[in-house]
Amino acid sequence: MQWIIRFFVSHLNMSSLLVTSVASILMLSSTQVQQQRIARVLTISVFYPFQFYFNQTARIKNIYAENRRLKEEIALLSVKAAQTVENSRENERLAQMLGISKQFSFTLVPARVVVRDPSFVSRSAIVNVGGSDGILPSMPVMTGRGVAGKIVLVMGHMSLVQLLVDPANRTSVMIGRTREVGILETTDGNDFFIMFRAHADVAVGDTLVTSGLGGIYPKGLLAGTVTKLEENRDPIFKKASVKPEVNFDRMEEVFVIKMSPQWAAFKSELDSLENAK
Amino acid sequence: MMSDVAKWVIAFMVSLILQTSFVPVISIAGVKPDLLIVVLFFFSIKYGVLPGIFVGFVLGLGQDLYSPSLLGQNAFAKTITGAFIGLFNERMMRTDPLVKNVLLLMVFIVHDAIFLIVQVVTIGDPVSTVFSGLFFHTLPRALYSIAVAALFYVWEMLPKPTVRR
Repeated sequence: MQWIIRFFVSHLNMSSLLVTSVASILMLSSTQVQQQRIARVLTISVFYPFQFYFNQTARIKNIYAENRRLKEEIALLSVKAAQTVENSRENERLAQMLGISKQFSFTLVPARVVVRDPSFVSRSAIVNVGGSDGILPSMPVMTGRGVAGKIVLVMGHMSLVQLLVDPANRTSVMIGRTREVGILETTDGNDFFIMFRAHADVAVGDTLVTSGLGGIYPKGLLAGTVTKLEENRDPIFKKASVKPEVNFDRMEEVFVIKMSPQWAAFKSELDSLENAK
Repeated sequence: MMSDVAKWVIAFMVSLILQTSFVPVISIAGVKPDLLIVVLFFFSIKYGVLPGIFVGFVLGLGQDLYSPSLLGQNAFAKTITGAFIGLFNERMMRTDPLVKNVLLLMVFIVHDAIFLIVQVVTIGDPVSTVFSGLFFHTLPRALYSIAVAALFYVWEMLPKPTVRR
C-alpha cells in the first residue's frame, strides 16, 4: 500500500493523468442510464451553487423589471386618477353653468378658455367659439360666478376676450342695495375700485351688479363686492375697493351672452354724429 | 496566490458563458472559436502539467454536463490536452507568440483527435471521420481561435500604467 502511495507521489503528473483518464473512460463506458445518473448527481452537487446563484440573479432581475413595470403602472394610474378628479370637477362646473343658463333669459354660448395672456396679469383670453358660432364683437362674457369681460375680436372659431382686469376695460356697475352707479376700474389689474360720489350710500359688503348703462353688459350681472371704503379729504368722491366675483386666474369655462350691444340700433345715428364732429 | 486563483476561475467562467452566448454570434460560416481551449492553453502553459490535467478534467466534465454529449468525452479530451499543454510550461521554456500559436494549433489537433477517436470507439463512427473532422472542422476552428487568442497578445503588448513607489 505504501509502495502505491509512494509511486503516486513520485509520479504525481502521471498518476493524476491516469486517475482522471480512467474516471473519464469509466464514465464513457457506462450505460446511458448510468451516465444520466452520474450527470444528475454531479449537476446537483457541483453545479447547484452556481445554478442557485444564477437563479437568484434572474429572480432579482425579474424583481427589478416588475418594480419598473409597477412604477410605470402607478404613474399611469395617477394620471388617470387626476384626470378622473378633473373630469368630475369639470362636470360639477358645467352642471352649475347649465343651471345658470336655464335661469338666464339670454342665449348663452358655452365656451372654453383655450389661451390666456401669458403676462403677469392676464388681461385677455381666447375662447373656442367664434364667428361660426354666431359670436360678434362686444358680446359680454361671464362665468358661473359673474361678469368676466367682453369680446373684442372675433375669428372663425375663436374669439379674443378683453377681461375686466384690463385697465382699458371700464364697466358700469351699481350697488345692488342702493342702486348707486359707478365705474368699476383698475389701474394694475389687481386692485379694483369705484369712485363714488362722496355722499353715496355705500357700505363694505355691498354687492355690485352691472348697471346695464354701458350698453354692453345686460343689467344685473354680478360683478363683485365692496371690500373697503377709503374716506379721504376729497369732498367730491370716495373710493370703494372692490373684490371681483370672478377669479381671472382660474377661469376655464365661460359663457358668451349672445346679445347685441344696446346701442347697435342707434349705430347709424352714432356714426353720423361721429362724422359730423 | 488567492487573487490568481480567483482570476483564473473568473476567466474560465467568463469563457464558458461567452462560449455559449457570444461565440455563436461571431461564427463565420459555422466556424466558431473555442474559448475554453484557449483559456486552458494559457492556464496550462503557465502552471504546468498537474494543474493542466485537473483543470482540463473539470472543464471537460463541466462541458459534458452542460452539453448533450457523451459523458466523459470532453473530460477525457481536455484532460489529455491539459497535460499536453503543460509539457510546454513557461517555467521550463520561454515561448514567443509565434511558437505559442503553433502550439495552440497542435493543441486543437490533439484535442479534436482524441475527441473524434472517442466518438469512433464509443459510437462506431467510421475512422475516416477523424481525418475529415480534423481537416474540415478542427483546422478552421483552430485558426479562428488563434486569431482570437492573438487579441490576448495585443492586450499584453499594450502599455500598462506604472506604479510609483
